[in-house]
Amino acid sequence: MKPRSRIQIWGTIDLSRSAVVLCLDVGFSMSNSAPEEEPPFEQAKKVIQMFVQRQVFAENKDELALVLFGSDETKNALASDDQYQNIFVHRHLMLPDFDLLGEIQILDALVVCMDLLQKETLGKKYEKLHIAVFTDLCSPYSSDQLDIIIDNLKKGGISLQFFLPFPLDVEEESGGRGDAAAGPRQPPYSRKGLTQEQKEGLEMVRKVMTSLDEEEGLDEVHTFRESMEQLSIFKKIERRPMAWPCQLTIGSSLTIRIVGYKAVTEEKVKKTWAVVDARTQRKEDVQRETVFCLNDDNETEVPKDDTIQGFRYGSDIVPFSKVDQEQMKYKSDGKCFSVLGFTKQSQVMRHHFMGNQVIKVFAARDDEHAAVALSSLIHALDELEMVAIVRYAYDKRSNPQVGAAFPCIQDKYECLMYVQLPYMEDLRQFTFSSLQNNKKFIPSGEQLAAVDSLIDSMMLVEGEGEEMEDLFEVSSIPNPQFQRLFQCLHHRALNPSAPLPPPEPWLKGMLERPQEVTARCTAPLQQLLQRFPLQEAVRKKEQKTAQDIFGNVTEEEPSTKKARQDEDEKFHFAGLSEGTVTAVGSVEPDRDFLILIRQKSLPFGQVCQQLTSRVDQLLGTKSTQYYMKSISCIKAFREESSKAGNVELYNSYLQTLKKNVQERALQDFWELLVQDNISLISKDEVEGSTVSKMEANQFLAPEQKPDEQTAPPADDGGDVDDLVRQGMLRNPQTSVQS
Amino acid sequence: MAEWTTYYQNEDEVEGEEGEEGEADVRYSGRDSLIFLVDASQSMFERGEDDEMSPFDMTLQCIRSVYTSKIISSDRDLLALVFFGTAEHKNSVPFKHVYVYHDLDTPGARRVLDLHSFQGEKGQTLFQETLGCSADFSLQEALWVCSNLFSDVKTRLSHKRVMLFTNQDNPHAEDSGKARLARSKASDLRDTGVVLDLMNLPKPGGFDVSLFYRDIITVDEDEGDLGLQQGASEKLEDLQRRVRAREMKKRAQARLSLTLGDGVSLAVGVYVLVRSATKPYPVRLYRESNEQVKTKTRWFHAETGSLLLPSDTKKAQTYGSKQIVLEKEETEEVKKFDEPGLVLIGFKPLERLERHHHLRPAHFIYPEESQVTGSSKLFTALLMRCLERKVFALCRYTPRRNTPPRFAALVAQSEELDKNRVQLSPPGFHVIFLPYADDIRSLDYPEKTSAKPEQIDKMKEIVHKLRFKYQSEAFENPVIQQHYRNLEALALDLLEPEQIEDLTLPKAEMMDRRLGSLVSQFKELVYPPGYNPEGKGAQVKRKSGDSGGGGAEKKPCAEVPEEELRAHVKNGTLGKLTVPLLKEACKQLGMRVTGTKKQELIDTLTAHFNR
Repeated sequence: MKPRSRIQIWGTIDLSRSAVVLCLDVGFSMSNSAPEEEPPFEQAKKVIQMFVQRQVFAENKDELALVLFGSDETKNALASDDQYQNIFVHRHLMLPDFDLLGEIQILDALVVCMDLLQKETLGKKYEKLHIAVFTDLCSPYSSDQLDIIIDNLKKGGISLQFFLPFPLDVEEESGGRGDAAAGPRQPPYSRKGLTQEQKEGLEMVRKVMTSLDEEEGLDEVHTFRESMEQLSIFKKIERRPMAWPCQLTIGSSLTIRIVGYKAVTEEKVKKTWAVVDARTQRKEDVQRETVFCLNDDNETEVPKDDTIQGFRYGSDIVPFSKVDQEQMKYKSDGKCFSVLGFTKQSQVMRHHFMGNQVIKVFAARDDEHAAVALSSLIHALDELEMVAIVRYAYDKRSNPQVGAAFPCIQDKYECLMYVQLPYMEDLRQFTFSSLQNNKKFIPSGEQLAAVDSLIDSMMLVEGEGEEMEDLFEVSSIPNPQFQRLFQCLHHRALNPSAPLPPPEPWLKGMLERPQEVTARCTAPLQQLLQRFPLQEAVRKKEQKTAQDIFGNVTEEEPSTKKARQDEDEKFHFAGLSEGTVTAVGSVEPDRDFLILIRQKSLPFGQVCQQLTSRVDQLLGTKSTQYYMKSISCIKAFREESSKAGNVELYNSYLQTLKKNVQERALQDFWELLVQDNISLISKDEVEGSTVSKMEANQFLAPEQKPDEQTAPPADDGGDVDDLVRQGMLRNPQTSVQS
Repeated sequence: MAEWTTYYQNEDEVEGEEGEEGEADVRYSGRDSLIFLVDASQSMFERGEDDEMSPFDMTLQCIRSVYTSKIISSDRDLLALVFFGTAEHKNSVPFKHVYVYHDLDTPGARRVLDLHSFQGEKGQTLFQETLGCSADFSLQEALWVCSNLFSDVKTRLSHKRVMLFTNQDNPHAEDSGKARLARSKASDLRDTGVVLDLMNLPKPGGFDVSLFYRDIITVDEDEGDLGLQQGASEKLEDLQRRVRAREMKKRAQARLSLTLGDGVSLAVGVYVLVRSATKPYPVRLYRESNEQVKTKTRWFHAETGSLLLPSDTKKAQTYGSKQIVLEKEETEEVKKFDEPGLVLIGFKPLERLERHHHLRPAHFIYPEESQVTGSSKLFTALLMRCLERKVFALCRYTPRRNTPPRFAALVAQSEELDKNRVQLSPPGFHVIFLPYADDIRSLDYPEKTSAKPEQIDKMKEIVHKLRFKYQSEAFENPVIQQHYRNLEALALDLLEPEQIEDLTLPKAEMMDRRLGSLVSQFKELVYPPGYNPEGKGAQVKRKSGDSGGGGAEKKPCAEVPEEELRAHVKNGTLGKLTVPLLKEACKQLGMRVTGTKKQELIDTLTAHFNR
């Protein structure tokens, strides 16, 4: 079993995809671990799973192969009698899919022992070829062909990463830096704990990586843990942003050829949710229809072709056709990066940064003269602490921006950094009352000292200069949104009927304050709490004790006890456990309303008022889904009003609503109310009401007639067109009679 | 379609802008209203010795700019213009010498033009000829008229404000009766929630607020005593700044808790001080009558035709051949990590806040004493220490429910006032959003080539010649301005729109003049003879144009073999191909390409192979 390795390189460069081979050690030792430590194999599996999840759900075109080494069985193209044994090509290069995600979980079964690295590709073309090796280095290897491997890797432009359960510089870690390095995030490995094989393995890794890239090679050796936290693999294979070639101009005769790249921009979830029918789960079954109608009594429908585009200009509505608009609109001269002037860096406020991106501007590729010219500008600005204010336009069609180009000088590169700045129209001048000059708020020396000790205990940066260590670097944390979404999608794909899993603990843990800081700041926080009395204002305070209130409430009103308890329990779990509801929001207004009513922290009338203004707002959108929300709000309103025996607000609201149906064009909505028979609260239901039962019935009556006429089609499931048209026709009738 | 898109685009915006309007405070769900009450008596028309403008001219220019900015930024606000001290009168009572020039309504093009006509020397003459001046007015009556204007409005008003422009500090010095009446009317107004602001204009000998107006105007608890101490606005821009600071009612986007640690939470309001103003969305009009049409949208079942309620639908995403279905609530749940709020992680020195870590415009927080008493004091202490020690607070920030958290730097800002004690920057923390690892892209940067000292020095001279004092409010958005000028022209039947000055264009001529020979000196230092950065660029362009042409020919060659397509169909991975490739594949297989939507193409191909 003499381990030998040879890398074969195929293919040349195409622009679109990467090929990644994941090389996973399934050797026996990978399953061993110190108590309380996850076995290396489990850790590696997690990293791989996370990686594959990302690949699948991000739908990129990268192809993945999974090669296991240290396996019982042998399956690979190079295998001959004694060579390339115990290497199992689990999966050839292809697009990752759910099968692969599933398989990673079966891998547990494949555990035996063996060695090194192997590679396989198809005759396709890839932008990047990349191998990621996950191993604990416990398997023996022979170094006889190491040079050939390295040579081939170089020739083929293959990038390589190692993922180990322990850090590469394990010896220095354990000896030199002491406590700082033994922070909670570092797994407790020491040189002593490593076997001879592992030590030799480390040497091998070092050798390979440094010979591939003298300076930065060792940066590509990661621990399992940090790779989960820092997305190391993704960074390595991610596609490079598009270049934006342009010319920087200063005045009419000084031009520098530049190229810009988006350097920082919010990475968003790419796929959107499609609406599907709940029963058939087909999106084809859900159709949307939009019609235009005049704002007259009959809501006369007009064909789309008979409508034109217009704009509001204050109180005026100005017809403005697309053609005219196109002709008259602001026209820019096309892409540009023109300096308008230079100003002090201090004059550009950080909180005035606009837009959603930062662009880094370099000199055009392979143009050393441009590089020198740009470098002069960068250094001049840097030394003078100034910035260039520039007009930036991406292309002819895009709106011009005014922004600042800051000088940025790093060890490896220098560039200008462009950020958009606000236009006059973007600024809002709000006046806030003074804090530092207000006698009421000036803190005492003692109080300031308490804040100081809090700051001291919660500093996230330790040491200075080179030695500086940042305990919480946001820019190396992956956006938990993606991982959580992928986790849920993955789970639902494999278990269609199970509820979604809770977020993984490590994902949540990543977002928490570092443990050592939490430990340090406990005492200063206590002190702070003593020095600064904080009192939740009455309504909030009560809310905290809402649970207690429930008990009291039910005792006071024995007659409704049963019902209330049930309800309260429901809301206790659904809502209150989730914490703070302070106002009727727009997401679940009915729920907020019920919670607020139960909390009793606000007067009943006020909560109702919040609800009704929210309903009015929802109705303003004129959209069916908000209508449904509003219906449940009004239902809740009705129910709570009856319970509270306070029907005045509800009845008057409903009456006002009815009066305004015409004016506010709410016929559709009114119809829904009628359908659900949501009427006034009558005397019969609640004593205090001034509305008789008959009045309550009649309140909806006129609308019921047309509804009866058109109701049947809803059941008989007749012709589609028929139905839709009738739906349209209903409105004029209701509006005539209302 | 219009309303539909409006609605949807708004929803998109909510994503980016934290629910700009959607989360607006429920307490203020009416419309804002503002009355300009302008003194039109003789003294307002008198110019000082070295003043370019009379107080009256300044006032009207200022009001006009409020009109136009309201049209752009908040076209639902109601504005009115009332003159007092005129010879003529027009009001509902009617009182003499009070002229309601613009009733309380949203401003339109006509109104802007009206004000324009009173501008300058000519305008003033026109005003005096048509409306005239009179000293025999009563401020009480003017205020009465304002009060009527407010009460005559049908819609609900959330915020009512009167801005009084005058340069007489004691209008009823001779008539204590009138003065008394005015005071009591002002107090009535204040009691009904109307805010009375004084915009005092220059008066020879100085404007003394304490003589009369101290008892008239609202001293807002919230805005401190700034109003009282303010001197007269000498310049138009002073006045404009002052008016602008007051005309907009500030609104919290949300009220959240700022948690410092277990059990230590204070309440803060979140404000948006900068946000991108955009062109408004179009509305649909009926061709015949130019009236606005309504849009109705329904969801219905394709087969049964029955109306679908939200509960009848679910959400789905398709990966490969697999469709994953979630309840609508679940799609929200997936995004939920924390309750809305700010959670302190720790502190870092300000220099650790990287300039290039920018994602979106900042928010601003200010304490909310009404929710947690003691918030302001703790907030102030934090603010003071953060300023003093030059640190920022790192927080985990969940702006709304069901929003995944982001980390943000809270950067302290102290209060700053100008010489008239108008606030230039408010006290509080800016909330700077920080990028996650995913948001930072790795770049292949070119090798570093550094310039030599003499080259840098020459550039420094150039930089020095072109220095100016940047001010954030100095640039108008030419796209928006042009759009509104166009609308204005159409609304008023002007022959052509008023020209806008595009401030974003470089003043190349002036720059060249200032630089003189520096440019050629610099070029000599960095560019070899014959090097033409423009020419080369153009050349490159042409080249890429050529190869682009080649590429266009090449593209069809990049077809996907049928086998591979079949495999894609089988695995449901067609989605990974690009639209042009899919189109090409359809053509190849002799299928008619009907749509351009990716899903349509995929469906067509899938249907073909599954046949």
